[in-house]
Amino acid sequence: MQPLRLLLPALIPSWNFFDVIAPSPRVEYALLGAETAPPEDWREFRPRPARVSLVTMARRLLWNPQWNESLFLVSCAERLIDQPTDHSEAEILSRIAADLAGDPDAPPWLAFRLTFVRREGEALIREVLFQSAPRRREALVR
Amino acid sequence: MSFVASVRLTEILLALALIQQSLEHMAGPRRDRATYAVRIALCALVVSGLASPWPLVGLALLSLVILERFQGPYNGGSDRMGLLSLWCVTLAHLLPDARWQHLAFGYLGAQLTLSYFISGAVKVVNPEWRDGRALRDVFRFSAYPVSEGLRAWADRPRVLLAMSWAVMLFELAFPLTLLWRPALIGGLVVAGLFHLANACLFGLNRFFWTWLSVYPAILWLQAQVGRL
Repeated sequence: MQPLRLLLPALIPSWNFFDVIAPSPRVEYALLGAETAPPEDWREFRPRPARVSLVTMARRLLWNPQWNESLFLVSCAERLIDQPTDHSEAEILSRIAADLAGDPDAPPWLAFRLTFVRREGEALIREVLFQSAPRRREALVR
Repeated sequence: MSFVASVRLTEILLALALIQQSLEHMAGPRRDRATYAVRIALCALVVSGLASPWPLVGLALLSLVILERFQGPYNGGSDRMGLLSLWCVTLAHLLPDARWQHLAFGYLGAQLTLSYFISGAVKVVNPEWRDGRALRDVFRFSAYPVSEGLRAWADRPRVLLAMSWAVMLFELAFPLTLLWRPALIGGLVVAGLFHLANACLFGLNRFFWTWLSVYPAILWLQAQVGRL
């Protein structure tokens, strides 16, 4: 029944795109030498580039897998706050681990946190609403 | 365009859009690749017209597997429109009575119209959209701008106010285009450019291809409205 329950909003859609501009999640990760080490050096996962050329924009019309994956992680981040599940946490962890897999010398433990950005008046407020437990990178298979 | 030709064109365009998405998934986690390889094969069968309508049935069933895999749509609204289109086109083949087939396909065209109208309605009742602040927030801190440079657009409040109203008025007026075919064609060109801009600025390439693939359904629906 679960897939049919997930299908229903597609068959009877709401189409309320961008009705309100909700707080926006940023995925940040830290690498740790040991499971008990306190995470300190938080880095943004896949920070956006300063500029994107028109040629790149045109190419991404046909080939944009990493950006679409990042948008999926935004959905997972929002789900983790609204309706926390192991699935959303595992999806985020596994994709960070996959991006870091090219650096086998990096510290073996990985944690991530979700920082939500919202506007209050004219100021932007950043608030950490979730932090994962450290996980061993090699165990986070894709 | 006849009902049969409109359904056929919609399913071919949808299959091509799904192939594009599936190829992107083939670059993702290894565990998903078999699923998307099957989807590409089924889409190729849909494009070729072989064994119709069973490849569509296979795609519809596979869509349930993918929904379960990601605990919902992978890419929000674009996947929802793709699912809606897939199930409507499949039902347009499978339902036993021509009237029901027309209803299933007409529902897809109607939902495309609603996708614009409701998007405009939910914005125009929000004072932050009416004064341009919501679109400033999209550029200033949302997850969508594809580069940090685009965030500077938030410092152009007059431009964004004009863009906000242009988007809202277009979306709200879109159903009126069903009354006159040249207006609909013009409306779809403008809508296509809107999706193209969203693809370039916010990386929403899946919206572009998925929404365009449904255009034959609304063109067919408009022809039926024109006969009334």
